[in-house]
Amino acid sequence: MDQLDKLKKEWQSREQELPKVSYNSIYKMLLKKSSSIVKWIFIISVIELLFWISLYFVIPEDNIEVMNEMGIGDIMFYSNIVHFIIFGIFIFFFYKNYQSIQVTDNTKVLMQNILNTRKTVRYFVYYNLGMFVLVSIAIDSYFYSRSHQLYEIMDFANKGIPEEGFATTFIISQIIVGVLVIGLLIVFYWLVYGILLKRLNRNYKELKKMDD
Amino acid sequence: MNKELEHSFVKQLEENQNIVHKICRLYTNDQDSHNDLFQEVTIQLWRAFPKFRGDSKFSTWMYRVALNTAITLYRKSKRQINTQDFESISFKIKTEEYDDTIEQQLKLMYGAVKKLNDIDKALVFLYLEDKSYREISKTLGITEVNARVKMNRAKEKLRKTLNP
Repeated sequence: MDQLDKLKKEWQSREQELPKVSYNSIYKMLLKKSSSIVKWIFIISVIELLFWISLYFVIPEDNIEVMNEMGIGDIMFYSNIVHFIIFGIFIFFFYKNYQSIQVTDNTKVLMQNILNTRKTVRYFVYYNLGMFVLVSIAIDSYFYSRSHQLYEIMDFANKGIPEEGFATTFIISQIIVGVLVIGLLIVFYWLVYGILLKRLNRNYKELKKMDD
Repeated sequence: MNKELEHSFVKQLEENQNIVHKICRLYTNDQDSHNDLFQEVTIQLWRAFPKFRGDSKFSTWMYRVALNTAITLYRKSKRQINTQDFESISFKIKTEEYDDTIEQQLKLMYGAVKKLNDIDKALVFLYLEDKSYREISKTLGITEVNARVKMNRAKEKLRKTLNP
């Protein structure tokens, strides 16, 4: 290509026209903070982790009491412990991936590592969403099958709520809330990672195409 | 970090900063983004510097880190590509040596390179820097054959942009 080669010939000869950053300015830059995508993936993922963990601390005492009185307090306690162990495993993999991101790798390996980190976070979210759905279904069907007991524990009679139709209203409202929560989580995840990694994904596909 | 390491790093970067500036010009469209990317590359280079063992030349190592930062790590500003912009920051040819037609052609070519996707831009940039296909393939992580194929396709894209 004639024109590109002409440009190539000129390329090296115009270096004096490039800006010059002084020794001191470069020195000062060493103290600045990075604003790279990886850093943001990391920050957002940590916030996500904290968010999920904090949910366990904002559950009102009343709810725990209701669980205990319904006879599933122990099951909930032990399943939470298992849940947190799985959390720990995710955190471990997450850090392992994060550390493998080396800007000195070749471009393809670097992108692969960033996308792997993202994949771990994605599995983490899938796991959380899946658990949320499963636990909700299990608890709701258990409560539904014992709606009379629940009605008494919640003291709805004194609050003027009739028992007739209570079970149906309960299960419908639980489903609506559950679907809303899942919907919000999906939108949040799609927005955050979709925007951050769109270009990267596109670039990775470009590189991958060459090997196919 | 020890002072000696800092001094050695800053000195080498100061001497080789043209590489980073050229990448910044290709991957950004205004002076602010140029400076942002320059700073980000500097930070990434400095972070990776303790692992730089001198197996390769400092400049060779810089190509990889700087391109990786531009392609994968850097968050572009939301500014849309403004065709006026590249005119003002694209390179200037010394007019006494070349007639206007050649200058215009080169400007158009540079503009077409800027419009390529991130990966093609990296390929063409390394080609303009007179890197061998072996070096290009090692930097990007593709085979030499693919680098050649991809380069030919990029040239084809440039040709189409210039002669639609």
